[in-house]
Amino acid sequence: MAENRNIIVGLDGVPFGMIKDFTESGVMPNTSKLLNDSVLTPMYSTVPEISSVAWSSIITGANPAEHGIFGFIDLHPNSYKMRFPNFNDLRAATFWENCEGPSVIVNVPSTYPVRSMNGVHVSGFVSIDYEKSVYPESLVSTLKGLEYRLDVDSMLAHKSMDVFLDDLDRTVDARISSIQTFWDQCKWQNFMFVFTGTDRLMHFLWDAYDDKGHKYHRKFLEYFSKIDAAIGRIIDLSENSDSVILLSDHGFEKLDHDVFVSKILAEEGFLHFNPSEESSLQNIGPKTKAFALDPARIYLNRKDKYPCGSVEEKDANEILNQLEELFSSLEIDGRKVIKHIFKKEDVYEGPYFKDAPDLVLIGDTGFNLKATTAGKSRFGKGIFTGKHTYHDAFLAVKSKNRNISFDKQPSVIDAGKLIRSLTK
Amino acid sequence: MSNNLSHLDALENNSIFIIREAYSQFRNVAILWSIGKDSTTLLWLVRKAFFGQIPFPVLHIDTTYKFPEIYDFREKYAKEWGLNLLVTKNEEALAAGMGPDKSKFQCCNDLKTVALKQAIAKYKFNALYLGIRRDEHGIRAKERVFSPRDEDFEWDYKNQPPELWDQYKTKATEEEHLRVHPLLGWREIDIWEYTKRENIPVNDLYYAKDGKRYRSIGCHTCCGPIDSNAGTVDEIITELANTDISERSGRAQDKEDDYMMQKLRSLGYM
Ligand SMILES: [Zn+2]
Repeated sequence: MAENRNIIVGLDGVPFGMIKDFTESGVMPNTSKLLNDSVLTPMYSTVPEISSVAWSSIITGANPAEHGIFGFIDLHPNSYKMRFPNFNDLRAATFWENCEGPSVIVNVPSTYPVRSMNGVHVSGFVSIDYEKSVYPESLVSTLKGLEYRLDVDSMLAHKSMDVFLDDLDRTVDARISSIQTFWDQCKWQNFMFVFTGTDRLMHFLWDAYDDKGHKYHRKFLEYFSKIDAAIGRIIDLSENSDSVILLSDHGFEKLDHDVFVSKILAEEGFLHFNPSEESSLQNIGPKTKAFALDPARIYLNRKDKYPCGSVEEKDANEILNQLEELFSSLEIDGRKVIKHIFKKEDVYEGPYFKDAPDLVLIGDTGFNLKATTAGKSRFGKGIFTGKHTYHDAFLAVKSKNRNISFDKQPSVIDAGKLIRSLTK
Repeated sequence: MSNNLSHLDALENNSIFIIREAYSQFRNVAILWSIGKDSTTLLWLVRKAFFGQIPFPVLHIDTTYKFPEIYDFREKYAKEWGLNLLVTKNEEALAAGMGPDKSKFQCCNDLKTVALKQAIAKYKFNALYLGIRRDEHGIRAKERVFSPRDEDFEWDYKNQPPELWDQYKTKATEEEHLRVHPLLGWREIDIWEYTKRENIPVNDLYYAKDGKRYRSIGCHTCCGPIDSNAGTVDEIITELANTDISERSGRAQDKEDDYMMQKLRSLGYM
């Protein structure tokens, strides 16, 4: 029974450069040992480079236009009213649903609310109701007994960094105890868990990673050492024949500027709000040609698609060209702001192509793109010191049964396909 | 009718047992009174349990966004029933301009949850009586009668050996408190039938005016009235017997969405 087991460990947001750094500098010695037996490569995230979309691709092997998740936020059909897609909106089957053997799945983002499956499933960000986050339900009391928490309270970081870090520690400690418990008590063929605190830590304290004199530099490293110890324990308990995949869903880097994409669209005349009402998507005016959803998904305000739609099919290309020109020439202090402008047909393929954004922008180094309509000016800077990146997630694969090599840099969709083929 | 009476008697007996038991174990307790029908029924039961004189404070969390009728009701009965009424507000958040126009979730959180935490810290209560019911809300379906914060004890409260209480007491840290839910098994219609039987005063907001009435009352910004012509307790009972829509059903999805927004905002989205 021990053959063909798969262990998948996710480190949310950890960039290729950081995993190299920490395994070489001794912060993550157990991970370093694992990587010695693995193939390691940088990896592209999804477009856009956010957890809900990327993890959905990792667990299904599907393109966003096949699994239907394009962001944390989407719109109700034929409306500007926001909705929050969740696991029920995922249109492709997960690897554990395609596998006959049992699986343990812990803290994978965008898998709330849980549904019945062969094994154990505890959903990740954004999980709301405890009872709807745990399958089978009988495990709710076990998890509560372990003081398992669905998520760190990121609001705390806005008030007190010390309290936030304490919360982060308690959350990861309980997460590790739950993983240990499931490992000891469950029969499984696939065992997947994701550490999401890494992403939170990097959002708020990337500067503590960069700067050795930073008050929280040690704390930052200690957090990764703690995760490394947990990885070490799992590797010690694993069989030599088990395949082990360690990966992230997107990369991370220092945040220099927030870029308010909706503000730019409004100033350049693409986006209008009804006068005397607040600037929110709900109040989009009929002259609007394009609007944005987080982080920088741009949608044409098409006549056949939206209640106040104004863009006719025949004019669509012209407007897309204007938008491309606008964003490719955008600069601040002589620095280019936008690195990639992906057109819908460049990156999306599948039955939900029609729901995909028309353009997706990816910021250049240090530029954090935001769609919020609340931005007062084009650029700004909030409390976050780190931001996601598209090009440098990482993937490490150790497999005795499979020859693993990559002739070009894979994407998280490729990682999902690999997981699918290993778990079949 | 006699069937019904014994059903109400059983509910009443259970609730009074729980109320007395919790008080005998904890002493430094308070009852949370939102002035709505459930917590007023609970207050009534507490008065009964202690023969008219409640030996602990009655805590009202004031968001300042309550209906004026609620304040009138509070003042009138606090006086008439000789309550030791503590009114508490999250002054800091209010001074900083917190209100439902910011975010309903944030508003509820700061003005209710945080204010309650502040009150618990200030008065060092180790147990609180709350008038929540199991049928009120999907999320409450799993609530326990005795619900230590952050723990998940399932126990038969009637055959509760004293040791378990003691065990909890020794475990409780300063921040912990026990939530006691004596009305957990009551349904909305039970509340109204009991209200009728006991002649418990009812806030006018529950009675229909111009074809609308409130089924639950909180802040005027968060709860909307339902279509109804029920102008008396009897008519409300008849109405409830003929409907099965949960009183807060419309608010549940909004709440989840609000929570979602809050989580995403904390990470810089939206
Ligand atoms: Zn993130």
